[in-house]
Amino acid sequence: MDFLTDSFFSALLLIWTLDHNLIEIINVSLKVSSVSTFVSALLGVPSGFLIAFSEFRGKRLLITILNTLLALPTVVIGLFVYAFISRRGIFGAFDLLYTQKAIIIGQIILIIPIVTTMTISAVSRIDDRYRKAALTLGANLRQTAWVIIREARFGIVAAVVMAFGRVIAEVGISMMLGGNAKGFTRTMTTAMALEYDKGEFVLSVALGLVLLGVSFTVNIFCNYFQGKGRGSS
Amino acid sequence: MLYQLNNVTKTYNGNTVLDLKHLSFQEGKVIGLLGPNGSGKTTLLEILAFLLPPTSGEIWFKQEKVNLNLSRLMKLRRKVVLVQQNPILFTTTVYKNIDFPLKIRNTPKAKRIEMVNALLELVGMASFRDAGAHTLSGGQTQRVAIARALACSPEVILLDEPMSSVDVENQITIERIIREINRINSISVVFTTHDMVQTSRLADETIFLFEGRAAETIHENIFSARIETANDGHRYCMLPNGFKLRTRSEKTRRIRISISPGRIRISRNQFSTEENTLKGRIVQLNQEHSNVRVLVDAGIPLNVLIPTELFDSQCMGIGEDVWITCPEESIDIF
Repeated sequence: MDFLTDSFFSALLLIWTLDHNLIEIINVSLKVSSVSTFVSALLGVPSGFLIAFSEFRGKRLLITILNTLLALPTVVIGLFVYAFISRRGIFGAFDLLYTQKAIIIGQIILIIPIVTTMTISAVSRIDDRYRKAALTLGANLRQTAWVIIREARFGIVAAVVMAFGRVIAEVGISMMLGGNAKGFTRTMTTAMALEYDKGEFVLSVALGLVLLGVSFTVNIFCNYFQGKGRGSS
Repeated sequence: MLYQLNNVTKTYNGNTVLDLKHLSFQEGKVIGLLGPNGSGKTTLLEILAFLLPPTSGEIWFKQEKVNLNLSRLMKLRRKVVLVQQNPILFTTTVYKNIDFPLKIRNTPKAKRIEMVNALLELVGMASFRDAGAHTLSGGQTQRVAIARALACSPEVILLDEPMSSVDVENQITIERIIREINRINSISVVFTTHDMVQTSRLADETIFLFEGRAAETIHENIFSARIETANDGHRYCMLPNGFKLRTRSEKTRRIRISISPGRIRISRNQFSTEENTLKGRIVQLNQEHSNVRVLVDAGIPLNVLIPTELFDSQCMGIGEDVWITCPEESIDIF
């Protein structure tokens, strides 16, 4: 018990004093996760909207596939991307392996289904009267689509926040594709795994506390936006 | 002629909800579409608003045949606007809701401000200018929805049951708005309702709809029923609350009946032991041209229409007990 308490308080001290190592690791995590979330939002939100808004053959099958992809393990994604970007892969010449770009690519694959399915859900929940109201007031298709996106905005933001929460806490992709290089591809989760292996619990615990804090904040924002979204549907 | 509909039908999953051989609407009038729930009023309004294509048939708007091609419909939608039953406002302020149609038409900002303020005054919502649209009551929402529709400067405004879920004060305001926009702005108005009194008060012309078809007259006192044969061999329509009305109909399945208000007999004294006689209490009285419309609560609500002289001779008033008799010939079975 003393060991745990000592580690805990030492970790708090690391955070309080903004330890250089700690900050460097947090920065890499935030940078990589932010970029992958941003790109996934750019691709996933319009895709989700189009799928929800349109009627086409195979729509239900597509949604089922997307829902299935939600359960993809991170190590499977890591392995899949590795096959493409390793020296023997078709994109081997781009030297992407063990770079931040590789982690970003893997994380995008991880969270695009999340952003897309949650956007589909948010848009589908919007009362059809909004669409009819926009149309009868003279809006064209683009303007009508914007009205619906605006009404679904809280649900869509919740989707993006949820996706960020997912990638910042993943370890499989970061480990397999990033290589855990200090100051470069060492994220909070891979650093925790490394420090644990070394028996250095203080930094591990400190990173764990930061991750918990991020997860908690993400959940607060998610609940807030989803609550607002339910209020407007 | 504003609209002309020829052989227009609308079918959902094999179920025909609208079947109109020939229907026309005159321009510049207030037209009431009267019919019970399920008569196809909302479907017809959505077709007239070019939001819903008919399954078959043709629509003429201002002497031009309507091309149901999507790109052409937007031009027509900018001339005709529908205010839905229980309208939905965008989750923003009242001002921005009314501003929306002006903004998408690229109206200059100064003109938009002027128009929105004028419309807020017209509907009596000026003090709610910056209020959140979702904080409004039902009647206030209805008024803002009408203002938002008027911001489109439409030639036609379609209102789906505009007074069905609002209080009396809001009803009066909405009726005033309808008269004003028709009289002053020459906007053609088509509104739907199931209230005969409202139509007679407001509409220049009334079109009756029943089970998706245009009817000669309005069917009133409509109830679902089933026909059963009693031990005495007579056939009866079994109504809600256990009431039964004798009939000669040979139908056997579940049916709908309509009891003609003009053929129901009403009296303060019980007519002998005549069949189909119910006791009830008068709950509402309305003068309707040369008749009095009496709403009787007999366990089921029944509208009775009697000549004013006859009503006066009986000295009936609200709250009084009366006997009503529905002769077999007053009952239509569908």
